[in-house]
Amino acid sequence: MSRRHNGALHASRARGWQSFLHIVVICACMPLLLAACDNDESSLHKARLVAFGTLVDISTWGVNDDTAEQAIAAVEASFNDIDHTWHAWHPSTLTQMEARLAKGEEIELDADKIAFFKKARALSDASDQLFNPAIGKLIALWGFNQDDRPQGPPPEPDAIKALLALHPTMDDLIITDTTLKSSNPAVRLDFGGFAKGFAVDKAIEIMRAHGISNAIVNAGGDLRAIGNHGTRPWHIGIRHPKESGIIASVETGGDESVFTSGTYERFFEYQGVHYHHIIDPRSGYPAKNTLSVTVIHDDAATADAAATAMVVAGPEQWQKIAARMGITKVMLIDNNLTVYMTPAMAKRIHFEIDPPPKVIIGDAT
Amino acid sequence: MNSETQQIAINPTRDDYRIAWLTALAITIHIVESALPSPLPGIKPGLANVITIVVLLMYGWPTAAWVGILRVIVGSLVIGTFLTPTFVLSLSGAVASITVLGIGSKLPGKGLGPVGYCLLASMAHMATQFSVAYLLFIPHDGLFKLLPVLMTASVIFGIVSGLIVNAIMDRLR
Amino acid sequence: MTRADYIVVIFALLLVPFLFTRYWQAPAQGETAEILIGSDKKIEVSLNKDQELNVEGPLGASVIRVHDGKVRFIDSPCRGKQCIHSGWLQHSGDFAACLPNRISVAVLGSKRRYDAINF
Repeated sequence: MSRRHNGALHASRARGWQSFLHIVVICACMPLLLAACDNDESSLHKARLVAFGTLVDISTWGVNDDTAEQAIAAVEASFNDIDHTWHAWHPSTLTQMEARLAKGEEIELDADKIAFFKKARALSDASDQLFNPAIGKLIALWGFNQDDRPQGPPPEPDAIKALLALHPTMDDLIITDTTLKSSNPAVRLDFGGFAKGFAVDKAIEIMRAHGISNAIVNAGGDLRAIGNHGTRPWHIGIRHPKESGIIASVETGGDESVFTSGTYERFFEYQGVHYHHIIDPRSGYPAKNTLSVTVIHDDAATADAAATAMVVAGPEQWQKIAARMGITKVMLIDNNLTVYMTPAMAKRIHFEIDPPPKVIIGDAT
Repeated sequence: MNSETQQIAINPTRDDYRIAWLTALAITIHIVESALPSPLPGIKPGLANVITIVVLLMYGWPTAAWVGILRVIVGSLVIGTFLTPTFVLSLSGAVASITVLGIGSKLPGKGLGPVGYCLLASMAHMATQFSVAYLLFIPHDGLFKLLPVLMTASVIFGIVSGLIVNAIMDRLR
Repeated sequence: MTRADYIVVIFALLLVPFLFTRYWQAPAQGETAEILIGSDKKIEVSLNKDQELNVEGPLGASVIRVHDGKVRFIDSPCRGKQCIHSGWLQHSGDFAACLPNRISVAVLGSKRRYDAINF
């Protein structure tokens, strides 16, 4: 072989090895590069706390752990504060107020509390009184004003009739900018279908005040989600009302509350009959025909009250109530597991069960 | 009427011989590889790819495209998998990698070298095969568990075949 | 090797680990349950192994049983026994709590599926 040929051969071999070496070096440096990249999941912070008589799950995205923890501590304090103020039967500011209201006294309240009453009344009116926080006496009659499960038997029809005749509603309250008075001694206040929504709204305000714009506050299953999970929306699963597992999923966008009122949440059985805690203010008995209502709406307090009201309204009247309350996304599941939805809700819901349930789409008329 | 039939002479050039010989080699490698046991369906060394890239570098993209497609079609005819799902996967992979090579050859400046071409072709081939398998044959989410492994294999074999092409080109010059 | 070659190689070497982290979520297919005591103490329990745990809360010991991939409260020193009435928890997101005893049990499982469960 000529020397020139030899030389060319060596040169080509050298180039080959050079390429190989370069690649080996790059492979070795890769781990360093990757370590420098911020892992998506380290931006997610999750916490669980006990507040408001339930488990509250809070997720934040996009802030460091310290900020998240500070905000969560503030939210916990807020939940406890609202619980101590508005609890329907534990000794609270509310129970103290009621003692005085029942005597016909006019009480002075701060702006926050006035706002709470005004909002509750507005929602009650919008729901045609189907959401009626003033029927506390009826709820107590059924035994749902306590932590433990009632044992039954159900109350006597006469007792129920007597309370209905007194017709307590939020309109019996005279609310000024600074004072509150009740014109009907039959009024007893139970904000069960509203206070949680109110608390979740406050929690989101606190999140925002701490500079957090991506978060979920989930109080015992009812939640409000703002922002998103980084590059994708928040994924919410809706539990099946009867079986274990998820019936449907929803992706939230921007700022949305997802609230479900169900007749399976608090109930008792007596002699084979199922009695639950969502009392129809018109009949005095638990609402019939409906298993659950899920509402998607921006503010949580409205979503909470609307879901409760529409359980009472049932498959016949939910559309009317949804329209009155300004709700466009509703899903009602009746006792036969038939699903009623608005078209707007149908676009958002993705059923996760196979086969999918029977769906009836009805506009909020 | 009698007209003189004209004889059209086809004079194969030396390049033509070479390309035909390379194509035959590619087909042979394709057939041998298909007989190799592989840990997972879809993982093959892809050595036939080496031929395609060599042809690309020596004779340009259109020729390489021919060789690449011919290899898959003739190979499957010989093995007996013509028009079977295997063939569909092979062909889609080949088309994708040839397309990517075509785009790569149009890059400005110095463009890509053997390693770049081989790596791109290999990854495009595997990614397309996976997609076709998922969309047409196994629309099961569990399939995605294989994807990282398959792509790792394609990257490794892509780099290795790139270095092989490098060595071959140096010898051919 | 040209500059374009290096770009391709680096892209490929970044892509591969990304694919692994994306598609190889849970190494163990089995689900786990998370027991929360108070607000801060957490115990993770595998649902793959049948077992029974005594978890101490302010009221006393709640007994939690794992069986057949499911978990539930078997006994608890509270009055209402709501926790026990919740029955077997199995799917990701299922949970039960003994609030008086400050103990909650939640099934984690494929936790990336949903960010939150509404019910």
